[in-house]
Amino acid sequence: MSGKTGFKTFAGGIHPPYNKELAKDEATKPCPVPAEVYIPLSQHIGAPNVPLVSAGDRVELGQRIGATDAFVSAPVHSSVAGTVKEIAEVAGFTGARVKCVVITPDAEQPEFSRQPGKDLDAYSDEEIRAIAREAGLVGMGGAAFPTHVKLTPPKDKPVDTVIINACECEPFLTCDHRLMLERPSDLVAGLKLLMKAVGAKDGVIGIEANKMDAVEEMRKAAAGVDGVKVDILDVKYPEGAEKMLIFALTGRKVPPGKLPSEVGCLVQNVGTAIALYEAAAWGKPLYERVVTVSGDGITKPGNLLVRIGTPIQSLIDACGGVKGDTAKIIMGGPMTGWAQPGAGAPVVKGTSGVLLFTADMVDVGEEHECVRCGKCVDVCPMFLQPNFIVQAVKREEWDRAEMWGALDCFECGCCSFTCPAYIPHVSYVRKAKADIAALKKR
Amino acid sequence: MAELLTNVSPHLHKKDETISRAMKDVLIALAPAAVWALVVFGFNVVLILAVSCIAAAVAEVVMRKIMGRKITLKDYSAMVTAVLFVFLLPPTTPLWVVAIGSFIAIAVFKELMGGLGKNVVNPAIAARLLLWITPLSIYTTKFVRPFYWKDSGFFTPIATSFSKGVTTFQTLAGNTVDVVAAATPLSLLKSGRWGVEVITGPTPIGATWTNSAGRPTLGSMFLGLKSGCIGEVSVLLLLLGGLYLIWRGTIDWRIPTGIIGSFLLLNLVFWKQPFYQLFAGGLFLGAFFMATDWVTSPVTRRGKWIYAVGIGLTVFLIRLLHYRPEGVAIAILMWNIGTLVIDRYIAQPKFGEVGVGLFNKLPVLPEPAPAPAKKEA
Repeated sequence: MSGKTGFKTFAGGIHPPYNKELAKDEATKPCPVPAEVYIPLSQHIGAPNVPLVSAGDRVELGQRIGATDAFVSAPVHSSVAGTVKEIAEVAGFTGARVKCVVITPDAEQPEFSRQPGKDLDAYSDEEIRAIAREAGLVGMGGAAFPTHVKLTPPKDKPVDTVIINACECEPFLTCDHRLMLERPSDLVAGLKLLMKAVGAKDGVIGIEANKMDAVEEMRKAAAGVDGVKVDILDVKYPEGAEKMLIFALTGRKVPPGKLPSEVGCLVQNVGTAIALYEAAAWGKPLYERVVTVSGDGITKPGNLLVRIGTPIQSLIDACGGVKGDTAKIIMGGPMTGWAQPGAGAPVVKGTSGVLLFTADMVDVGEEHECVRCGKCVDVCPMFLQPNFIVQAVKREEWDRAEMWGALDCFECGCCSFTCPAYIPHVSYVRKAKADIAALKKR
Repeated sequence: MAELLTNVSPHLHKKDETISRAMKDVLIALAPAAVWALVVFGFNVVLILAVSCIAAAVAEVVMRKIMGRKITLKDYSAMVTAVLFVFLLPPTTPLWVVAIGSFIAIAVFKELMGGLGKNVVNPAIAARLLLWITPLSIYTTKFVRPFYWKDSGFFTPIATSFSKGVTTFQTLAGNTVDVVAAATPLSLLKSGRWGVEVITGPTPIGATWTNSAGRPTLGSMFLGLKSGCIGEVSVLLLLLGGLYLIWRGTIDWRIPTGIIGSFLLLNLVFWKQPFYQLFAGGLFLGAFFMATDWVTSPVTRRGKWIYAVGIGLTVFLIRLLHYRPEGVAIAILMWNIGTLVIDRYIAQPKFGEVGVGLFNKLPVLPEPAPAPAKKEA
């Protein structure tokens, strides 16, 4: 369906203040190597890795330092050349403690030595999956689902369309926007690899209408490439949610509780596609990524190429430090990201942004009794009933919470954004999900 | 660095999307109609409004103090109820009756039900109907003709005689004159008495009061030159206020559309003076300001349509069959209660869901394990 502006979109959703202009014109620059990197052994959904190194070992740039045999998992690689200091538990971005390989980098860091190029068209689908796994690729939009698993759809559900999620509908974030401006042809090459891996004949790059310069660049890069096209989408949040994006671009609806392969689609993030290209063309594992540092609490907002494991304090320093009285540090976007108790958490593969908000940006009202205005129902892109989920959770009626759709919620936060009673629906939904899962396990 | 906030996402909130913002918007939307009522019915309207607001505020403070809750006057919800309650009263209502009604609206139908968000029925409507079924109803059924104050003076308060049960107004000279107890257009229609007690000639703003059949013209009814409750008078101004609320996103367009649309359609099909019915009585007030009350209307799109069409149908049936001429308030109250059922049972299909029934069914979850038995000491 098309929205008010004539571009493709979905029903529901919200229009938060986008604030992209803070960082969108800042070219990506490398973030200085910190005194110590903390590389978590689990940066993805799935089984955690086992460390392959121990304290005192020397590691090279891109060396594999954690792996496991589990299928739903992705190995991790060292983002620096240096010495392993210890294997310690550090507070990660969710607040939970995660096992990390702590590495002291050498003073001089080597350039990554690119392997002699192989013809990308010569790779078989099996080889591409293997490359994705070897390079430790995960979804870099935030959910961090291992890429090689996504590239292995069930046999009876053939994928015909690969979608590159280039919406970047989260306010403030500009890292995907920068990647598209700076490396459009790498993205198209990555998309071709993804299409080959799942045997899809169509590739679509979906970009929100507030990034027309990126649309232009990508159209140039995709011109003449077989099966690849660029589509413009309405500026609306959460346009980049997997199911919303598939519906907006193809008109197909992924049923509740099902994966995109159910309707023959595969969705990948811009960063992931480029990382796949790097892995296939240069043999480069995923050890660094572009991170947007923005918000009204940072002196010089920008986009940094950050080595995985860099504490966010280093990113803040690289952007000129804090400005004013910072009230909140967010890892990820403002709609789905995690508020940090400090600046110590390391950047992981799924980190798209570090945002610093001052007090006037943070609008925390007092939670009022639900006034049943129905705005949360109106904006929910999944057509759930968030107010009733909250009510059911408060009464601990888990069957009702499930009936109103607690398990189908992907926590986009539209409901809380628009709630005049300032109810934090997402935290109630998380509680419902945890408790329903615990009940079902028994 | 100061203490960092670490609450759960989202970390942005829609600017100025608060309960008090919405309530202020409703007050703004009601203001033109209130001013027009003042022009048509005289200064009495201001007194009634003031008394109602004070009584509502007192009720909220007293009840919340008794129940040990926080005073929330600054969310303006009590003021909205107070003003809406006034809009449902005839301009002759004695001030002490207004005070009682307004107090009941807040104290009983709002605070005793649990406060804003927990009330099942619209407090203003519930209080109004309560007055109707008590002996106080003799004070809340006397209507006056528009611009009656031209005979007595704009600022002349209306005095009410309890023993006679009739309303009089005092002239400045001290002589009492019986009010022209005017019939509302709907009561004229109900009784079939055209031309009785209806004013003829040009109205103060140039329109014509009545047509050749003796009914108020559609134009004069639309502009608000008719007998009726304080707030029901100007359909035009209520419509403008309602459109403002829709534009501001305070109310959902589906509810007024459903009510007015279904009501008009039914009247067209059965040809019961459709446009006359539309502009008479409290249909627009109810459709835009009463039925759209957040707390007492359904939250889903489907539910809202069912609710709205239900109200339209009920108003039609009451006006057709009931011995009373007007039915908007009763219809809304009925469907306020119906909302409980609609919200619980009418299913809203999730995104991508296929083959959904009309009704919500509870899924089956395993029973939680029984609490471990206490060991005996």
